[in-house]
Amino acid sequence: MMGAMADSLGANLAAMADTREFEAQFGAWMASEQRRIFLLCRRMLQDGEDADAATQDTFLKAWQALKRPESKNLDDAGKWLTRIAVNTCLDRLRSRRWQFWRKRPKAEDESAILNLAAATAPNSEAQFFARQIAHRLSRALTRLSLRQRAAFTLRHYEDRSLTEIAEILNLDVGTVKVHLFRATEKLREELHDLYFHDREEHEKHEPHKP
Amino acid sequence: MKNTNRINHDDFEKWLRGRFESLPEPEVSPEFLAAQRRSIYRRLDSPRPNRAALRWALSLAMLVLMFAGGLTLERRYKAASAVPATLSDDQLFSDLSAMEQTSEPKAIQPIHGLFQE
Repeated sequence: MMGAMADSLGANLAAMADTREFEAQFGAWMASEQRRIFLLCRRMLQDGEDADAATQDTFLKAWQALKRPESKNLDDAGKWLTRIAVNTCLDRLRSRRWQFWRKRPKAEDESAILNLAAATAPNSEAQFFARQIAHRLSRALTRLSLRQRAAFTLRHYEDRSLTEIAEILNLDVGTVKVHLFRATEKLREELHDLYFHDREEHEKHEPHKP
Repeated sequence: MKNTNRINHDDFEKWLRGRFESLPEPEVSPEFLAAQRRSIYRRLDSPRPNRAALRWALSLAMLVLMFAGGLTLERRYKAASAVPATLSDDQLFSDLSAMEQTSEPKAIQPIHGLFQE
């Protein structure tokens, strides 16, 4: 549905330039993509306010690009928008390096992260563990390099293929693989205790059959 | 001690993927999204400040500031290390002889007097 909308946007833009129809079509497309883009930005930036600003910037950039006559034919508008969002987030992360006072996410963002997993876990222990995982994952993500974080987010949250990630990040597939491998290695160092805890729990409930 | 070496990369990746899949989609309220859309429309309607020009102006101002600072430092350094190049040989010799004459501490001058006739 979303993809079809996005594709139709790309195909029909040439015909409806500078009309109210263009604005209506853009509005519908924005509404269909907005949540996905916001979540992508929030996962990359680990900050609600920053993600809000990045989402707005992304759609503003998309609007301005679509208004230009030379960029009307989009094969995959969703992927194109994702690329804009990722680049916007990377720019923000780069400029954040100089903002030493913003090392930690805000308290409300941390509690939001902690509450992410609360809804679906069945019992209190599982709930606590799920919260821990969510919290530790988001913290571990901040330790990745910018490219590693972008590649990892696109792979695991957006479920993009290696080729798609390579296109979005403008990299070779081999380079994407290296980034993903290194990101997983770093996360392995960060989350090994949770991994073993999870394994032990799993074996307790489902012991090996001889 | 870290025991990460005991974890197989593929096993860990599989576990991680499973964990990601089990994480629920975060809630984003429709009101928040509507407010965000309104904000985007507002920004679309309002003329954007020319950030590129602002960036250029800032860079230029920084460059001018750095140049002025460098110039000031250089002048100060020159002034501090300026040896009076116009000092003539006569002046130099007279200065040196004055220094040589006054190099002895005054306290031992009376002792010299004992040996002088």
